[in-house]
Amino acid sequence: MSAADIELREVRKSYYKDRLEIPVLQGLDLEIEAGEYVALMGPSGSGKSTLLHLLAGLDRPDGGSVRVGEAHLESMSERERTRWRSRHIGFVFQMYYLVPVLTAQQNVELPLLLFRMSSAERRERVGTALDVVGLTDRADHRPNQLSGGEEQRVAIARAIVTDPDVILADEPTGDLDAKTSSEILDLLQLLNSEFGKTIVIVTHDQRAADRARRLLHLDKGVFERDEARQASSAS
Amino acid sequence: MALPLRYHWLSLFARKTTTLLTILVIAAVVGVFGWMMGFHAALRDSLSVAGDSRKLIVIKRGSTAESNSAVSPEEFNRLHQLSDVQVDPETGERLISPEMLVQVSLPRLRDGGATFANVAVRGVTKSAFKVHQNVSFAGNRTLGSREVIVGRAAAEQFGGLEIGETINLGHGGIRPYEITGYFSADGGPMESEIWGDLHSLMNSYNRSRYSSASLRLGDGADAKSVLERIEGPAIQLTGATETDYWDGQAKWIRIYIGIAGGLVAVMSLAAVFSIANTMYSMVAGRTREVAMLRTIGYSGGQVLWGFVIESVLLSLIGGVLGCLACGAWLSLVGNTKDMFGATTFTTLAFKISMNWRIVLASLILVSVVGVCGALLPAVRAARLEIVAALREP
Repeated sequence: MSAADIELREVRKSYYKDRLEIPVLQGLDLEIEAGEYVALMGPSGSGKSTLLHLLAGLDRPDGGSVRVGEAHLESMSERERTRWRSRHIGFVFQMYYLVPVLTAQQNVELPLLLFRMSSAERRERVGTALDVVGLTDRADHRPNQLSGGEEQRVAIARAIVTDPDVILADEPTGDLDAKTSSEILDLLQLLNSEFGKTIVIVTHDQRAADRARRLLHLDKGVFERDEARQASSAS
Repeated sequence: MALPLRYHWLSLFARKTTTLLTILVIAAVVGVFGWMMGFHAALRDSLSVAGDSRKLIVIKRGSTAESNSAVSPEEFNRLHQLSDVQVDPETGERLISPEMLVQVSLPRLRDGGATFANVAVRGVTKSAFKVHQNVSFAGNRTLGSREVIVGRAAAEQFGGLEIGETINLGHGGIRPYEITGYFSADGGPMESEIWGDLHSLMNSYNRSRYSSASLRLGDGADAKSVLERIEGPAIQLTGATETDYWDGQAKWIRIYIGIAGGLVAVMSLAAVFSIANTMYSMVAGRTREVAMLRTIGYSGGQVLWGFVIESVLLSLIGGVLGCLACGAWLSLVGNTKDMFGATTFTTLAFKISMNWRIVLASLILVSVVGVCGALLPAVRAARLEIVAALREP
């Protein structure tokens, strides 16, 4: 069980369209404690996903610093960030992004193939991850044989199988119905409360945001509100 | 490599139609390549068997081959001045074989006799069996006046050459010769010939001159200096070692193989484009999958190798199918082949076969084709902008 704290200082990020600079993040400061569950909300284009990508080391800030645990991402090369990401970050996508030709078990195994690890140990870890998300009996099913909720649970199992410090989720319930969304949110809450994972979730869904213990409102690249809250219990 | 082979294998068949079409293109290239390699190997083996550097073929000055040469008995007798010729220990005579070469038109067995080929008929004396040491014949080496023996390659590929049958030779084809046996020549060019008694055949064709003489060099004799003497004022003929002679005759074969090689190169280029096209569509169809892999920690290099491996797998499937198709073609349609020599005016018969060297060369070729075809699409995948790919709708 591991977790990492996060610290952003004066983070700036712009994108360019036809040589026109579009500022996305404008000098953000943020501290997230290890084991916190944070929801990021805001209108489209407010910079939520950009922030998440910076936290995952998928992109580098134009200015300022991003520290996750001991890693100063702004000064790391792409190769270093890739290697770091494989060990410290679990990423959950809105559209799951499972490999269609592989079974649930094989999809969950993918991040472990980057580690020196015996196949027996990989099997055990995959089994544990699938057990945590309640899909042991669907291990041999391919994505097209699973429901949307089950696919997202496989994606969560893939995100936790390496025992990362931080779980980043980009609209994890965006493509699910209310009941299935609730199950996925239960699962994320469990990972936070039982396994102590630091979780940062980007969402438009108020019910998803209500599960977090801290809610950050982002608008036009700056934090508008930072609310500490009592997380709603699992349904 | 971090991704398991099964991932690449299964991914290949996620887009069945494109994959199968590409496999067919590659199989066609390998089929032609394998056949051409087999053809080349069969020809090379056939001609290399003839490469006896201790044997000289002597023809008339100014002639390019035995078929357009005429050596008079007087000129032939002058060859006996050569002291560096091996002496037959049994008879004490120098091993010099006077020979006459003509052609007879015979039906090809492989197309049921629909087409004909010019087959060489060589008039020889019994000394020929000692000069041409790769020729093996179990019967009486003093051939009867109306008897011929047939090379095994000729017997297998041309009609009317069964033992006991007669073949009409001579001017107007009016002299029947009985086939009394088969001889072999280690698969060399002479195995595509028919041999008969020299004097009988000269008589049948109203010839007073030989076509050539073959002689075997004595121990320690230097071929170059013997050839200089043959071309000198005392003898005034010309010659070459058998190796050089057949090498010269094989020029047209090299041109043929060069053209076939060019065809394979063009086909290989087409296969590279076909693979590149397939791989580009695979990369385009798996943009988000690649972005996911990069997000969970796979490096650009691992992604690049992944696509190269898929391409090589694809190529190898095509390669194996191509080899199987080529092997099946050779065994079902026939592996016998003959080629007409533009300078000899005779036909060289040989058998094409697939062997492990050809299979290995074919698989290496397709692997290279696979790597070349995959490189640009794989580089594109490896350089994918992860963030942009994740934002794709």
